[in-house]
Amino acid sequence: MSGGPFAADHNDERRARAANGTVSGEPFNPFSLAGRTVLVTGASSGIGRQTAITCAAMGATVVATGRDAARLAETCAALEGQDQRGHRGIAADMAESDGLARVAEEAGVIDGLVNCAGITVMAPFRMTSEKYIRRIHGINFDAPILLTQKLLAGKRIANGASLVYVTSTTAHIGTFATGIYAASKGALIPALRALALEVGAKQKIRANCISPGYVQTPMLDALNAGTASIEANYDLAPLGLGQPEDVANAAVFLLSDASRWITRSTLMVDGGLTVHVSL
Amino acid sequence: MAGNPFSLAGKTILVTGASSGLGRQTAVSCARMGATVVLSARDEQRLSQTMDMLRQAHPGVAGEAPHKSVRADLNVAEDMHALVEQAGKIDGVFHGAGIRGLAPIKMISRKFLDEVMGTNFHAPMLLTQRLLMKNALRDGGSIVFMASTAAHRGVHGVGIYSASKAALIAAVRCLALEQAKRRIRANCLSADLVETPLLTYGLTEEEGKAWLQEQRDKHPLGLGTPDDVANAAIYLLSGASRWVTGTTILMDGGITF
Repeated sequence: MSGGPFAADHNDERRARAANGTVSGEPFNPFSLAGRTVLVTGASSGIGRQTAITCAAMGATVVATGRDAARLAETCAALEGQDQRGHRGIAADMAESDGLARVAEEAGVIDGLVNCAGITVMAPFRMTSEKYIRRIHGINFDAPILLTQKLLAGKRIANGASLVYVTSTTAHIGTFATGIYAASKGALIPALRALALEVGAKQKIRANCISPGYVQTPMLDALNAGTASIEANYDLAPLGLGQPEDVANAAVFLLSDASRWITRSTLMVDGGLTVHVSL
Repeated sequence: MAGNPFSLAGKTILVTGASSGLGRQTAVSCARMGATVVLSARDEQRLSQTMDMLRQAHPGVAGEAPHKSVRADLNVAEDMHALVEQAGKIDGVFHGAGIRGLAPIKMISRKFLDEVMGTNFHAPMLLTQRLLMKNALRDGGSIVFMASTAAHRGVHGVGIYSASKAALIAAVRCLALEQAKRRIRANCLSADLVETPLLTYGLTEEEGKAWLQEQRDKHPLGLGTPDDVANAAIYLLSGASRWVTGTTILMDGGITF
C-alpha cells in the first residue's frame, strides 16, 4: 500500500462498500460518492462550481479551490451536507507555485480529483505571443499536471482514487483562433494516459478526461462578450448548448465505482458536436 | 441523496440478450436503479431465470407496469415485431444481444459473415428502426449499443466481429443526428474483455485458466465484470447523460498493447 498513512483504511472501507453494493441504509446506487473526499479545482464558477455542488449532493466531502475567495465562499455555501461532512474551500491561484503547493498541502488525502480550472482566450495564430502561450499553458496544462505530481509525491491520493481532467472538444477538433487553448487541453490527454499506466496496476488509481462542447458558463459568456461571437456554433451540436450539470454528472460517473474499469479514456460530453467531425 | 440524476425510476428499459452475461446484469442493475425492464432473449429458460433475479432485485413499483419478458430471436422479423409490440412505450433500449465470431479472414465464408453481421449489426439496427417507426421510444429516450474495443484496435482472428462492432459505432453518429430533434440519444459502449462464462468457451479448464491470467496481466485494472458494463449502461440510459450522444464510451481496464 503506497497511498499514505490513511489511504489504506480509506480504500478498504470503500472496497467493502462496493462489494456490498450499497451504503447501509441507502438504496442501491453505484454512483454514490459517500465516504469519499473529492478535490475540485476551478470551483468558484461554471463547471467547477457545479461539479462541487453535484459531488456534495452525491455524498462526497468536497475540498473546493478557486482563485476568487468571495465566489469560492458562495460555492461552499451551496454544498449539501456541510454540517455532517465539513466541506472546505481553499482560495489559491494555482498559476503561482505558492498557491499550488498550498492546495496540495491543505487538501489532505483525496479519493477523487476533478480539474476544472482553466482559461480561454481566443487568438488567431498570427496574434499569439510567448507570453500568451505561457499563460494559457501555465493554467490549463502545467497547473493540473503539477498539482497531480505534488499530490502523488505527497501520498495524498488514496489507492483506488479517480482523477478527472476537464479538457475540451476543441482539443480534438481544432477550431478557429483556439490553437493554443486546444493544444493546452489536448496535451493533458496523452499525459494522463501515461500517468494512468504508472499508477494503475498497483494503486488502482484511474485517470480520465472529459471533453465538453459548448456549455452555458461565465467563461462562454465572456467569450461572447469579445469581438468574435461564437453563438452561431451552439447550433452545430445536435442537442444544442449544454449545462454545467451535464459535465458534473459525467464527472460523478468517472469518480464513482460505477466506472471502476474505465481509465485512460476521454468521455465526450458535447451534445453530439463531434459527430460532425472526422476524428 | 434526493434526486439522484442516475436514477431510472419511472423509466421502462428494453434489454436484449438478457439471458446471460452483460445483458442479464444490465437488466438486473436497471431494475435496482428503479426501472421497469422488458427482457428479451432467445432462450426461454434462461430468460425466466433472469426474470427471477429481476423480481428479487426490484419487485416493481405498485401501480406501475411490472417487468416483462418476451422470448424473441431478433434475426426473425416476426419475433422482432412481436417484441416491439409487446414492449409498448419505452424510455431506453440496451442492445446486449451479440455473438462472438472467431475466424481469421482467410477462413471466413459468406455464411459466417451473414451470421456475425446479422446478429451483431443487422438485428440491433432493425430493432432500432422498428422502435422508431412504431414511435415506441419516448422523446428524450436513450439507445445504447454494445460495441467492443475490437472495433478500435486490431486483434488476431476477430476481423468480422470487429467490423460488426465498428459498424455500430459509425451508425450511431448518424442516428444521433437524426433523432436529436426528439432529444433521443444514441451511444455505444466499447468494452474490452469482460469475465463471463463464455469467455473461455472451447478451451480446456487448464488452457482457460492460463489464458485468463495472461489477459488479466495485460490490463492494469484486470478484466471487466458484467457490473462494469451495466453501470456504464445506466449512466447512458439515465438523465445524467442527457447531453451525451453519438459517442462511444471506452472501457478497457487501461490496456495498452
